Amino acid sequence: MLFLQVLINGILLGGVYGCAAMGFSVIWGVMNLINLAHGSMIILGAYITYIVNTTTGLDPFLTIPISGLVLFLLGFVVQKYLINLVIGGSVFMTLILTFGLDLVLINTNLFLFTADLRSITPWYSGLGWQIETLRIPFTRLGVFVFSLTLTLILFLFMNRTKLGNAIKATSFDKDAAGLVGVDILKVYAITFGIGAGMAGMTGSLISMIYSFSPVLGDTFTMKSFVIVVLGGLGSIPGAIMGGLILGIAENFASVLLEPGYKDAISFILLVVILVLRPRGILGKQFFAEVKE
Amino acid sequence: MASSRNVDIPQQPEQKRILSVHRLGSGYKPLQVLWDIEFSLEEGEWLALLGTNGAGKSTLLNTIAGLIKPFCGEIVYQESEISALPVHERVRLGIALVPEGRRLFAGMTVRENLMMGAFTQNDDGKIAGQLQRVFDLFPVLKEREKQIVGTLSGGERQMCAIGRALMSQPILLLVDEMSLGLGPVVVDGLLETMTAIKQEGVTLIVVEQDVNTALIYADRGYVLREGKIVKNGDAKQLLEDPAIQKDYLGYWKGVEKNNK
Amino acid sequence: MREKVVGLVVCVAAGIFLACCPFFLNLYWLRNLTNIFMFAILTQAVNIIAGYTGYPAFGNVVFFGLGAYSTGVLMVKFHIPFAITILIGITVCLFFTLFFGIPVLRLKGHYFAIATLGLNEATRAIVDNLSDLTGGGMGLSLPLPTGDVGANNRFFYFMMYGTMMLSITVTYLISKSRFGYGCRSIRSDEEGAESMGIDTTRYKTMAWMISAALTGIAGSIYAYWMSYIEPSAVFDMTIAIKSFVMFLLGGAGTVIGPILGAFFIELISTFAWSYLLNYHIGALGLIIILVVIYMPRGFIYFLQERLSLRMFANSINEKRI
Repeated sequence: MLFLQVLINGILLGGVYGCAAMGFSVIWGVMNLINLAHGSMIILGAYITYIVNTTTGLDPFLTIPISGLVLFLLGFVVQKYLINLVIGGSVFMTLILTFGLDLVLINTNLFLFTADLRSITPWYSGLGWQIETLRIPFTRLGVFVFSLTLTLILFLFMNRTKLGNAIKATSFDKDAAGLVGVDILKVYAITFGIGAGMAGMTGSLISMIYSFSPVLGDTFTMKSFVIVVLGGLGSIPGAIMGGLILGIAENFASVLLEPGYKDAISFILLVVILVLRPRGILGKQFFAEVKE
Repeated sequence: MASSRNVDIPQQPEQKRILSVHRLGSGYKPLQVLWDIEFSLEEGEWLALLGTNGAGKSTLLNTIAGLIKPFCGEIVYQESEISALPVHERVRLGIALVPEGRRLFAGMTVRENLMMGAFTQNDDGKIAGQLQRVFDLFPVLKEREKQIVGTLSGGERQMCAIGRALMSQPILLLVDEMSLGLGPVVVDGLLETMTAIKQEGVTLIVVEQDVNTALIYADRGYVLREGKIVKNGDAKQLLEDPAIQKDYLGYWKGVEKNNK
Repeated sequence: MREKVVGLVVCVAAGIFLACCPFFLNLYWLRNLTNIFMFAILTQAVNIIAGYTGYPAFGNVVFFGLGAYSTGVLMVKFHIPFAITILIGITVCLFFTLFFGIPVLRLKGHYFAIATLGLNEATRAIVDNLSDLTGGGMGLSLPLPTGDVGANNRFFYFMMYGTMMLSITVTYLISKSRFGYGCRSIRSDEEGAESMGIDTTRYKTMAWMISAALTGIAGSIYAYWMSYIEPSAVFDMTIAIKSFVMFLLGGAGTVIGPILGAFFIELISTFAWSYLLNYHIGALGLIIILVVIYMPRGFIYFLQERLSLRMFANSINEKRI
């Protein structure tokens, strides 16, 4: 039974992890941009939910569109007027740029919200399903379901809409996309906005299961990194898979090994998988290979 | 070799000047590849752009299409100067490029690639009609409609690339190195198709290494060498031109003898 | 040519100046400079594996931690003299590189980068959990070299300074040697290098070993200097990212670039911390953003192109990492 409980915990967590990695993966896959500010955007989303929830009492799940929209606009503007200036350059230069951006975001969050740990406890926090010794908290279940829903919406968007196809095409070959009439710079801005929006919405979800503070964003960036490499760059199903693997592995690690290994397990796992199968678990590249 | 700079071809009253290029210089900063390019094109003409590797043919097409910003000079398309326009805007004006290497969207199917070609079009009915016309021109694409383009042969991929460009309803179609890597039968088939496209009123600039074949189908030809236009004229005349024959066609008539 | 001489003179003058600093600067500035030297070493080490060989080792800080804990554990538990612990620390780093290097160096680009991060995190967790040996999360307290604060500071100043000079010399020698040439060919085109008969595995591993050793020395000195270490402080991701940023901003694949990058970022960091306490993080972020936009190829290339100064710049080809 314990095994099952740990597995379920892992799956519930994995869904959120996958959702967290989604935006990161799309931005990287389409724009060849490693967004080190990703974690801080997640945290910002969490704060938005916190503010709305504490001032208006609105249920945190309902704040998701708000954080999504705010972060989308933020991402769009940042990309259009800042990142576009260096987008042609090397991956690692854009990486430093987003690192600088991350520092600015962290400072902004510290300034606005202080370093205190916050958390959100809706009225149904402690409640859950009890099936014999198995416990499935409602909040975690809700978060999991929403994560998958967001993922599905993103997947449908990328594959069924004209704009989504334009984004996909850009990731395959940006010059060719331009040649069929796609405005690349606009696609980049929208893509980054989508990535930021996904991060923000994931932040709203995370705010309900974790306590958060401005400096905790980096962990999520790193985990997203790991998930993307595990699941294959730019692949949405891959991100979910990678997230599930990570979530399950972390939960089992904290039970089987010393608790201190919980975070390390993600990396140990990563190193092992990379050495055995360098293209990640799904291998198949849905989007273009990372350009150097 | 007598070099003739471009002299304005006298315009027929009904014919529209689609494109004229003045003193164009272009390249890949800081390397300048094209120098002082000057030519013009009437509606419905098929222009062959010739020259050896590295002469600048692809650079010229890429500059007209907008992938490269020129260093200097003018590109006038349908009476507007377009050298400052970004790529995607030029597509909307009716310029379409089939780039070197085809540059298809690797992970997408034939149909998806073709539909992406229609990105600038809004009329669903017209799009469907154009798709049908592409399938009529290239029946094999219809057969392979649902296949990922990576699984297609070279010739099929070239057809897909041309088809994709056609989906944007181009007025001016630029084709770069169509025959690269393709067998002669396939190339002939493609060129016949291009003739059909031309008959629908599309203006063509075709870059080709195979000078002989290119000049057989084209109306006019321009020869580039080291980034400059060194010869131009009617395609038939160029075929007969002894200098062209010697340099590009590998044979000569008359008393010139090779002493090497 | 004249520019090269000017550059050389400036560097030598700077070197002599820094060597004399302990005789007139106060403790605060000595500590700051010592810190900058340390980052210079780390950045230069990253330069060797990433700048010259083209393998972006994000997690190079693992060797910093290994060096620090080698010194810490050996001095505290086994009472081994400091100098010996440095040598043992280097040996530990070398073995680590040999053991993990071979499999991990088979990865490329961002996969390699993330794998090295993974190594760092995994090592940190293991060190943390071996608390009997390492003190775990409680940390490790090392003895002080002498009772005199001033003398101690000068000692560590010169230790870091000397190691920084060593790293510059090593990099210079690499840049002029056949080994360096081989590394650079790996960076440009690894398959091409292989087909030319260069044993890329051997070269990559050696480059990483050199990088690891230098980083390890810095870690050993750090441990003795701070007198207290804990796993999260020495296997610190922030140090990793910071040194990588310094490396990229300074100018990859040059001899002096990383040093400049380290000075630049760390000085700004320090100023921001003292004058803008609440905003120092954001200020650093803004500076980084501005530098990336206006000096996208790094400080040294910026100087080269804009001011026509060549300071030991081995301009490799245009290929970016």
